[in-house]
Amino acid sequence: MGKVSDGIAALDAAAACAAVRADLERGRDPMELIDEARVGLQEVGERFDAGEYFLIELIRASQVFQETADLINPKLTELYGRGESRGKVLIGTVAGDIHDLGKSIVKVLLDCRGVEIMDLGVDVAPPAFVAAVRDFGPGVVGMSALLTAAIPQFRTTVEALEAAGLRDTVKIIVGGGTVIDLDAAMLKADHVASDANAGVDVMLAWLDEAGGASAAN
Amino acid sequence: MSDTMTHYERMRAAWNCEVPDRVPYMPMTVYFVARQGGLTIKEFITEPEKFLKAALDGLDFIGDAQHPALNTADHMWMLGHAGWDMTTLDWRIWDEFPPHGNLPSIYEKVLIQDYDDVMERGFSTILFSTALENNIHERSIDDFLYYQFEHTKVWSSVWRRFYDETGIPILIGGRAEHPLDLLQSYRGISQLVTDMYTMPDKVLEFSYWLADYEVMQASREAVTMGAGELPGAENIFFYNGAPPGMPPDLYAKLYIPVAKKMIDAWVARGFNVWCHFDNDQTPHLEGLAGFVDGLPKGRVLLDLEKTDMKKAKEVLGGKIAICGNVPSTLMVYGTPEEVDAYCKKLIEDCAAGGGYILGAECETPWDSKRENVVAMKQAAEKYGRY
Repeated sequence: MGKVSDGIAALDAAAACAAVRADLERGRDPMELIDEARVGLQEVGERFDAGEYFLIELIRASQVFQETADLINPKLTELYGRGESRGKVLIGTVAGDIHDLGKSIVKVLLDCRGVEIMDLGVDVAPPAFVAAVRDFGPGVVGMSALLTAAIPQFRTTVEALEAAGLRDTVKIIVGGGTVIDLDAAMLKADHVASDANAGVDVMLAWLDEAGGASAAN
Repeated sequence: MSDTMTHYERMRAAWNCEVPDRVPYMPMTVYFVARQGGLTIKEFITEPEKFLKAALDGLDFIGDAQHPALNTADHMWMLGHAGWDMTTLDWRIWDEFPPHGNLPSIYEKVLIQDYDDVMERGFSTILFSTALENNIHERSIDDFLYYQFEHTKVWSSVWRRFYDETGIPILIGGRAEHPLDLLQSYRGISQLVTDMYTMPDKVLEFSYWLADYEVMQASREAVTMGAGELPGAENIFFYNGAPPGMPPDLYAKLYIPVAKKMIDAWVARGFNVWCHFDNDQTPHLEGLAGFVDGLPKGRVLLDLEKTDMKKAKEVLGGKIAICGNVPSTLMVYGTPEEVDAYCKKLIEDCAAGGGYILGAECETPWDSKRENVVAMKQAAEKYGRY
């Protein structure tokens, strides 16, 4: 841990950004800096898992991380070009639901870990998931919902992927406030996430296992 | 053993943290009853007579635990008609229930650009925001005035008739939201989180400003609905849905004091306050216990969604009545046996000494199995005898 990661872990945007600016001015390798920022966010995730941090703090930490990343990324691109992707994840809130908080947190947590993400937004119909899987070629599809009314859409979307012959090309994870008590098999998914952090761990494991390619291949 | 109290007497005893004849049963069945009655969402919200019929039909399976509450005056905010606060939010409403339609949903946007500007010039600054996109400013003044002032009277008339025919109290007269809940809609969750960390004092100042409006609006609705005449209309439904997962320090600074001010204001005007809490409030129970500080007994109810109810009983027992917690997924996907077992455990954990009402987590989902709703009712009767 350094000043950047400490600042992120303390949710102190001013301190974290000041540390980034000072390090960049001193000529510190931006790759080191982004790695340190990720350590800070990882620390927040661990505190969240331990019950020491709350959801709002996880959101705030992702914002602070993003502020530091916005300072680091131009230098990173200048020196190293576009970095290698750890894999691709497609995310969206299923049809009939417009809640996007959990999905947005997942997006930031994946982004800071080098994952390429396509976010389809909210109220996403099954054909849109199918088209995006075909075009984007993700290893993982993450679907979110909060309303019980939207729960059947998980299964409907998976069945649309099956019908398109794409189900076996992806791992599928679902998440959201009302789904955590449900079985993945009932939804035809591979996993039901208990929270954003836990879901990200599962997705990263899938992507790493697949070597950054399509997780189900 | 037969009942010795009416539903209303049983509810009042529970609010008072006293021991009634049995545990009251109070699921929020608004969408469920409408769906069971074959209504579309728009019919259920805009046509009180049709909803009244659905509610009367629902007596067959819900009995005296009918819950017209959210369909009283202020549920009209879902159409963006009633009240300047809700008028200025981007509500979308569909004709049909899922899968062809959707439940009324709010699209979070940064509608408030400048807190000071809104506090100085009022909600009209939001009403004409180009980000609103729901063309509410194109509605006629007659339309607006009808929903703002007259439609409440129509609801009131219908529910008075419901009471006259059934003797069942309406349970809720007015409705309000915690300002932070509204702010999540006005600013979006992400921007609100930024605000809470970068300008907490401004968020608090705005919350107090908005609190005054909410108190006034809900009080007016309750009076129109018949507070003082119609049993249950004296209760204000105080919705606390967001933001989820606030840390205790922010909660203590930004949430609790504003809520306490609103509760005190309603109680001082003779109302009772039904505090409905989404999310897990377990970390905040000590703070919530302070809601009744300085107030007469029996004026506040805490309706808790995903909270640890056993812990809630330990912290709040004897001070504030508690309610809720039967999971939505259980009502939709579970079996009557599973609902029965869950309710039995809740009653075992929470009912001792009174002050507990068996209720659903948030509201009973529209697509709940009817047999599960019946199982919940029967569980209260079976396990809730004192």
